[in-house]
Amino acid sequence: MILFNYIASFFLIVLGFYCIVTKYNAVKTVIGLSIADYGVNLLIISIGFNPGGTAPIYTWGELNPSSFFVDPIPQALTLTSIVIGACTTAMSLALVIKLKESYGTLDTREIRRLNG
Amino acid sequence: MTNLLSYTHFPVYSIMVLFLGAFLVVIAGKSKALRHIFAICAVTASLACLIALIKPVMIDGEVIAYWMGAREPAGGYAIGIALEVDALSLFFGLLIATAVFVSCCYSITYMRFDENVSQYYTLFLMLSGGVIGLVLSGDLFNMFIMVEILTFAAVALTAFRNKAHGALEAAFKYLVVGCIGSTCILAGTIMLYAQARTLNFAQLSAFIPGNFNTSTIIAFALLYIGFSTKAFIVPFHPLAADAHGAAPASISVLISGVLTKSGIYGIIRLTYFLFQSMALGKMQFLLVFIGSVSMFVCVTMALAQHDFKRLLAFHSISQIGYVLTACGLCTALGISAGLYHAMNHTLFKGLLFLAAGAVLQQTGTTDLNKLGGLSKRMPHTTVLFLIGAFSISGIPPFNGFASKWMVYQATYQKAVESGNIGFLFATIIALITSVLTLASFVKVSQSVFFGQLPEEYKDVKEVPFGMRFAMGIFAVLCIVTGLFRELVTHYLTEPAARAVFDVGKYINSMLGDGYASAVMGANAPVRTEVVFDMAGTWQPIHWLLLLCILLLAITLVALLGRYDTVSENKAALAEGKFDIFFGGEESVPSQVGGGDLFWGFKHNWRHYFSFMHDLHSGIVNDYALWAIVALALAMLYMLIVL
Repeated sequence: MILFNYIASFFLIVLGFYCIVTKYNAVKTVIGLSIADYGVNLLIISIGFNPGGTAPIYTWGELNPSSFFVDPIPQALTLTSIVIGACTTAMSLALVIKLKESYGTLDTREIRRLNG
Repeated sequence: MTNLLSYTHFPVYSIMVLFLGAFLVVIAGKSKALRHIFAICAVTASLACLIALIKPVMIDGEVIAYWMGAREPAGGYAIGIALEVDALSLFFGLLIATAVFVSCCYSITYMRFDENVSQYYTLFLMLSGGVIGLVLSGDLFNMFIMVEILTFAAVALTAFRNKAHGALEAAFKYLVVGCIGSTCILAGTIMLYAQARTLNFAQLSAFIPGNFNTSTIIAFALLYIGFSTKAFIVPFHPLAADAHGAAPASISVLISGVLTKSGIYGIIRLTYFLFQSMALGKMQFLLVFIGSVSMFVCVTMALAQHDFKRLLAFHSISQIGYVLTACGLCTALGISAGLYHAMNHTLFKGLLFLAAGAVLQQTGTTDLNKLGGLSKRMPHTTVLFLIGAFSISGIPPFNGFASKWMVYQATYQKAVESGNIGFLFATIIALITSVLTLASFVKVSQSVFFGQLPEEYKDVKEVPFGMRFAMGIFAVLCIVTGLFRELVTHYLTEPAARAVFDVGKYINSMLGDGYASAVMGANAPVRTEVVFDMAGTWQPIHWLLLLCILLLAITLVALLGRYDTVSENKAALAEGKFDIFFGGEESVPSQVGGGDLFWGFKHNWRHYFSFMHDLHSGIVNDYALWAIVALALAMLYMLIVL
């Protein structure tokens, strides 16, 4: 079951990269970035998952070597990563709006005044 | 309660003051003076904290392990978030803090005509805090957070003058490829976590070398590509060129002097500490190869440019190629040379970008074909620019000579020691690159500062004192670090190079004595005795004298030999017999354009140049494709060799 998660996460990362490389619409590039990001988030959360583990909420006294819970660190990392992903999307969409205003197009093949 | 003024707290202070400053600048609101005071105070305090650490870290050789919230490791597992400052971190930290300080001084006068300056300072301080946090961090995920902070701040600052030519476009490209890099770093981090169940550098360094498997090797490739995008080495160099050209000059200083250094720092940490794979000839080959390619490709790209800042940007990456080549040698001399060059690169590149900013502010353009003759109007800027140009071209006694000499020496020594002819090619490429760099700076100084002054720039004035002062700091540092090589190597680069070869100490100071040998057994890194004999056996003053004598001799011979011919032809010249015939039109003096000084060279190489020009298409999809191909190749290469 968890293997399916790993396959799906790498599929999402590759799909995101594919989208960035092949799509010439700036908005689609941003979508590609987000998809790759979701793939990584899925990977992180799958790595922390222990089948049958409980939620990692314990007080100091309850914790003993037989406690079995999912790894809490990846969950914290995922939260951070989701926030960063949202920032990426917001920032790149802001730039896309500005680009559309000044270049009059969203086609990345025409946004190439800096070259050579 | 521990003493809050003890130096062990200084690393966290140096990061904290910058982020605190970023918020205080917002609170200052419209008050210009208050905003400047907050910004200057923050960068000065950060620099002071790091300078205070020179004594314990550089001289006494201590490694400061600082656990946030005093969460010490328990049962051999690092629980808390750590900052770890060894000589390598501090070396990069000092470089960065100096560049940030000078850039902040420059910004006060440089940005005075811009709108929304308060946002500028917020982003500026966030960027600085991000980079210093990155180099002092002892935790892989923390490093990722800092990478994201600095990437966002750098993208926003690149687009800050969003009316400027290409600023938005450059920012968008930087964001897309930068995010691919960040995604790689995060994926690599989490794959290492899956294997080692820790994010702490020291613990990872103890765990990974004995546990190479497909997963850790792919993580290595991911992290390597991630840090490459931050260092802008080939194939990520077009982004640097775009970003530098569009960003304000004070930010170009940070992107070239600071962001690239953070990438190089990441690569050194990754290869020498986390994976300890640099003893392998194939890994040395990878770094030296990428470094040499960066050197050569970027310097030839620079020759074809006709925009001042874009040209400087390509040179910047070319110099980073030197740093990477030297650091990839895995010898004490190599690391020492690489770090020395990294420091010099920050100083002279900063100076050159600030000079370009001064020209841009006074004339409104950076097009080499339009500028000319500014030395008469901006004499101080010209002198400062020339100091930077001499330094980057490696003319004694400036600092570029000292470090480039060490790079040649290190690559040659490596070739002799290992008997591998490949390293000799690196020496040759480094020499050729240095010559091409000089050629290209002859072109720049000729077309910007000398030659004829165009009519429209007759009224150009010298830049205000604040900007000249900032450039002066860099210029003085360029000369000082060139003349007092012994002091620089003794107090800065040699301790840092020793730290690179002492991974065991890095692990033990974090997790307690004996941790490395307990976990790694026989594989525990032993401290290699680092010998610096032969390092830079030269005297800059002697070379300068030799250069002067040769120049005098050539001038003398030229004067003596040609005196007669000139006097003979004077009569004929006066007649107008040898005048150029313009078809009856009056002759007009014409300036040799910036792009035309080396037209013969460029004509002979036209196939190469047109190929490179077409390759750097400016389409973001192409650059993203390069990034992904590089990632795939890196994974393949590392799976094969490791």
